[in-house]
Amino acid sequence: MFDVALSAAGAQISFATSCDENFPPEHIIDGKDDTFWSSTGLFPQEFVVTFASLMNINTIKIECSNVRKLLIERSVQNEPDDFEPVEQKDMENSDGQWQSEEISVSNMTAVHLKFTVMAAYDHFVAVHRLHVDGNAVHG
Amino acid sequence: MPNSLRAKCIIVGDSCSGKSAITQVFHSDGSHFPKNYAMTTGVELVTKPVHVQDTHDAVELFIYDSAGKELFSDMVQNHWANPSMVVVVYDVTNETSFNSCAKWLERVRSQKPSVTMPSVLIANKIDLDERRVVSMKEGQDFADSNGLEYFECSAKEMQNVEQPFLYLAKTFHKLYQDRIEYFMSMT
Ligand SMILES: Nc1nc2c(ncn2[C@@H]2O[C@H](COP(=O)(O)OP(=O)(O)O)[C@@H](O)[C@H]2O)c(=O)[nH]1
Ligand SMILES: [Mg+2]
Repeated sequence: MFDVALSAAGAQISFATSCDENFPPEHIIDGKDDTFWSSTGLFPQEFVVTFASLMNINTIKIECSNVRKLLIERSVQNEPDDFEPVEQKDMENSDGQWQSEEISVSNMTAVHLKFTVMAAYDHFVAVHRLHVDGNAVHG
Repeated sequence: MPNSLRAKCIIVGDSCSGKSAITQVFHSDGSHFPKNYAMTTGVELVTKPVHVQDTHDAVELFIYDSAGKELFSDMVQNHWANPSMVVVVYDVTNETSFNSCAKWLERVRSQKPSVTMPSVLIANKIDLDERRVVSMKEGQDFADSNGLEYFECSAKEMQNVEQPFLYLAKTFHKLYQDRIEYFMSMT
């Protein structure tokens, strides 16, 4: 098991609804805690992480701020479509402070994970870091 | 590359206060005042980018013009989820439209009670000076006690229509800057 949602592990952001050039979505997967992606207004907000290949996933952990309702979906297609729901979470208000949510999914496969912030506690949300524990499906 | 923020702007007020006229005049850069009166049914959306003074940034406004009739209000409220900013309009020749402002403001703010929303009050139809019944002082006082920035305009004369939107864009941009600083301070 290792973190497959890192750009160093070949992961990419294939879609995001906000892109402030100083706080781009790539900051979610750069492995650093002191960088973040910032949304720039309106909801819902989305980003899609595409892995290097089809992965077997055990846990998903997201570190963010101001998120209220989060939807996570997965796709096993080559292209990021045909998403199906994995989990929907209502997160606690932490007044802008760091929120952390860990989701266990036993042996789920995915090429892409889509995260949708449906609602928030503020006009803007930040996503600091994403960890996805998994490994490549060989076959 | 300049940054572009996006904001959902809800424009409310009694029917006939001039919401659609203001939206159209602003959207067309003062080239179009709707001549034929057509009551807005439900919700109409127009978008327009607004440059934020003294920055390289812009705020793209998504303006939701809604019908003032109670009749439509359930349908309209579905479009009010996650507002970023609010414009409350009244007609200076119509006392009732002024008295309704508190109710409209309350309805939008109840959508997001915990978040500060940039908000303006627009006293419209100031060209009808001889028929004016709501004074500047009354408008300003209401605005002050409700956390609104006060503007007077005439959509018909295309006078001062842009200012409230420039103010909203600037205020929203400021909120973003503050939030970014806060996110940065956490790490
Ligand atoms: N004299 C004058 N009439 C206006 C002004 N703005 C709007 N009107 C008129 O007021 C009526 C209602 O305007 P409208 O924009 O449809 O109001 P809404 O129902 O709030 O969207 C229309 O007949 C407009 O032509 C204004 O600034 N001055
Ligand atoms: Mg109208």
